Amino acid sequence: MKDKEANKQLVEDSDCLEAMDHLYAYLSGELKDKDSLAMMEHHLSHCKSCFSRSEIEKEINTRLQSTKQLETPESLKTRLDDILKEMD
Amino acid sequence: MSNNKSKFAKNTLKTWFSQQILENRDSLYNVAYRLTRNSADAEDLVADTVIKAWDSILSLHEHERFRAWIFRILHNGFISQYRKSSKAPTLKPFEESDSGQETHEVAELLIEQPNDFLCWWANPEKNYFSDLLTEDIITAIEDLPKEFQLTVTLINIEGFSYDETAEILNVSPGTVRSRMNRGRTLLQKALWQHACDAGLINTTQISEYI
Repeated sequence: MKDKEANKQLVEDSDCLEAMDHLYAYLSGELKDKDSLAMMEHHLSHCKSCFSRSEIEKEINTRLQSTKQLETPESLKTRLDDILKEMD
Repeated sequence: MSNNKSKFAKNTLKTWFSQQILENRDSLYNVAYRLTRNSADAEDLVADTVIKAWDSILSLHEHERFRAWIFRILHNGFISQYRKSSKAPTLKPFEESDSGQETHEVAELLIEQPNDFLCWWANPEKNYFSDLLTEDIITAIEDLPKEFQLTVTLINIEGFSYDETAEILNVSPGTVRSRMNRGRTLLQKALWQHACDAGLINTTQISEYI
């Protein structure tokens, strides 16, 4: 219990919450603001746990990007071909 | 003469449109399936989407925005048709976040995950992620409230930008960002729990933090 309280205090005192707020945008290349980018890069270079967390999220991103898509059913392929042929 | 030109232009547009549909067909079906949760309804949704898209093709002024545009039609079609029907799958309710709720969820996650275990989890030499099937991650995503699931799918699987996703879902980019934060935080919590349940993380040591 004591260690969890200590961890809680560490989290509340740290910049980790702010870093987490920007993490997914940062990893997706959506963080355009220069100050926020600089903050993220500084934080990740100094905070082992947030760096670890970002590595985990990168791995999840990689897995998601390589997810095998469901094959479009033949029935839908035929149906779409018919729709496209009948377009006027 | 002008009739010939008009016919040529229309045929060119048809050819281009058909090519776009072919290129996006699998993605359209996948997102439709994720929304409707069954193949027959997903097929209907995609077919309706293509028809509506062709009917309103002249409203698309920038052809490079086709992908986001047609996925918006798909999403709107789902909302208007399938949510009202008895066939609509049960959607997990969610509350649109206020920043307080979002901050609380993130803080909870940070507090629950002690630093030592994070470093272990992220160590590329450890085999947790090798053992974790992609299917496990997909299942965890499917367990998320629908709007978080859809946001994560559009951005992380289908590769849309935050702005495109905002256009598709008809929300602000700030809402997209908030949904990504909450969705991915919940996803990480689920995977963390999965790791504990699978015995991949030493729960005796974790209990010292509880």
